[in-house]
Amino acid sequence: MSALQETSAPPLRSEAATAPKAAVGPIWRWRASRPAVIVLLAGLLLTIGLALIALAIYNNNEDRLVKLRVKELALVLSSNVPTTQTPLASAAELAEATHGNPAKFRAFMAPQVGKGRPFASVSLWPLGKHALAPTAVVGTAPRLASMPARARQFLEHGLRPGVINLTAFLHSPNPSVGIAFKSSGHGPGYVVYSENPLPANRRSQQESNSAFSDLNYALYLGHSRRNSDVIITSVKHLPIKGRQAKDVVPFGAAVFTVVVSPKASLGGAFFQALPWIIGVAGTLMSLAAALLTDRLAQRRARAEELAGILDGVAAENRRMYAEQRGISQTLQHALLPEALPQIRGLRVIASYVPAASGVEVGGDWYDLVAIDETSAFLLIGDVAGHGLRAATTMAMLRHAALAYIVQDSSPASVLHRLSDFVNRERHDYFATVLCALIDVDSHRLTMASAGHLAPLILHNGSGEFAKLEPDAPIGVPWEAEYREATVSVPPKAVVVAFTDGLVERRGEVIDVGLARLRDLATRQHLALDDLLSQLAVGLAAEDHNDDTAMVGVQWTS
Amino acid sequence: MDELDSDSAANLAINTRPDAEGVPVVVVSGELDVSNVDDLRASVASVTANRPEQIIFDLRDLRYIDSAGIAVLLGAASESSVRLRDPSPAVRRVVELTGLTEVLPMAS
Repeated sequence: MSALQETSAPPLRSEAATAPKAAVGPIWRWRASRPAVIVLLAGLLLTIGLALIALAIYNNNEDRLVKLRVKELALVLSSNVPTTQTPLASAAELAEATHGNPAKFRAFMAPQVGKGRPFASVSLWPLGKHALAPTAVVGTAPRLASMPARARQFLEHGLRPGVINLTAFLHSPNPSVGIAFKSSGHGPGYVVYSENPLPANRRSQQESNSAFSDLNYALYLGHSRRNSDVIITSVKHLPIKGRQAKDVVPFGAAVFTVVVSPKASLGGAFFQALPWIIGVAGTLMSLAAALLTDRLAQRRARAEELAGILDGVAAENRRMYAEQRGISQTLQHALLPEALPQIRGLRVIASYVPAASGVEVGGDWYDLVAIDETSAFLLIGDVAGHGLRAATTMAMLRHAALAYIVQDSSPASVLHRLSDFVNRERHDYFATVLCALIDVDSHRLTMASAGHLAPLILHNGSGEFAKLEPDAPIGVPWEAEYREATVSVPPKAVVVAFTDGLVERRGEVIDVGLARLRDLATRQHLALDDLLSQLAVGLAAEDHNDDTAMVGVQWTS
Repeated sequence: MDELDSDSAANLAINTRPDAEGVPVVVVSGELDVSNVDDLRASVASVTANRPEQIIFDLRDLRYIDSAGIAVLLGAASESSVRLRDPSPAVRRVVELTGLTEVLPMAS
């Protein structure tokens, strides 16, 4: 009893020790798992890559668009050349034809000069004279008239015929541009000279509905981009900064350099914002993916941890169960005879099959005692119930029976004495016992049964249960009478004595189990040890919950 | 008797009542074996506490009994006169094969 208690205590303690260890795991201490970090880094790298690609595409696109726009602007500027040149050229030809008639010149030009008209000042300058001065002026007086040296240099030596020529007064507080056209003829000719003021700071008020209202621009005279050469610009501070494109536009004999810069994204705000959108969205998605990965990784880690704990508990349970079952079986074997005596003329094999499940010891036992040269005493018994109580009762009955067998080998006498022995004191157990005196030479079996099932006698492929009326089990609380019955056993017959675990099944009448036993035992002719093995496997092994003892006795002749 | 401590115990029902003559009748139905025999032992103890002359076990619906169940009936038989009323064939055969037909008389 103490053996079982001692062995069951340590597993309980160890179970209590493992349980809290499992509970104190890293539950909510957030520590990013490695897969989560990898996912985050990969996501961020991908995001950066995509954002850079979007930015490159955007920049490339913007550069292309601003180049297109500067070409458009240049085209518009070039298209203005005839508008300016045609009236001046016509006036020059008129002067040539009329020999510089001032009245005709004035009459021709007057409609085009003044506020809201193309020109602010137009004058006619005959060349080849001693003094270079305008002979006719429409509009305001030309500044060039007050600058004889510059007038001579520009008008007499600097003009290319057939096109308009430009000169600029950019350093004055009231800057202006002069445009001259020289008539084509055989004589010295005439120059029609127009002067148009520029805004004082050279900044133009852009019309918001203009086709170029989305651009900042600066128009320089000549190829230079010096601030001093700017004719007109839309910005306060030159030079223009940021993304820009430049083109050179021929304007009569002169050239303009035009520089433009977009005020806002030319491709649209969306494409400008796209790298940022990709960046922000990609970062958020990377974070979300990392969090999700982390959650999954932690969940998996916890599941694995839990599975490990459960495996451990299951292994511990299996170990405990095996241990207790092992102890029970060891105890059982200790209570049963170590070896049966050799009896001349008999072959005897005993078998004990523990219940298929459970850890309790059973109360089944058997014994074989050699009485003399030609007889032996077989005993098989079963104490009702399981556990140490049944096992200790069994041990007591077994040793008492051995003592009585030695005194008097009559089966009825042994049972009677056993019954008296247990009834001397109050008890609450009972046991079935079969006693059989075997007369080897005369092939006789004298039996008495204390509530025990009769043995099966097998001979020549047929089997019969011995004719034996059972009397009351050992332990019934009053005087019991035990009767003996003697049966003849044919030569080479086999007697199988057994306990009820071999034949009892829930939900069926015991006769069904007895018939099953007889069928299995007679199905084929087997050697004694094979027969007992077959019975153990076929009847006792299948989910039976009771211990079973069997003793097979075979006459060798 | 209300405590059912194993799955096999669910198959056992015990009902105790006196019959018309005041004899206690223990009606046992289902399957009785070592796993649930304590329920019957408790019921029998509460009946024998009154020291009745006779106890009747109604075993009409008891489909199975093992040696532990027989032991409880024998325990009751040591205190009072016991009769098994209308036992099922399975119970009847166990009583016969255990040599208890005199100790546990059966009446149909």
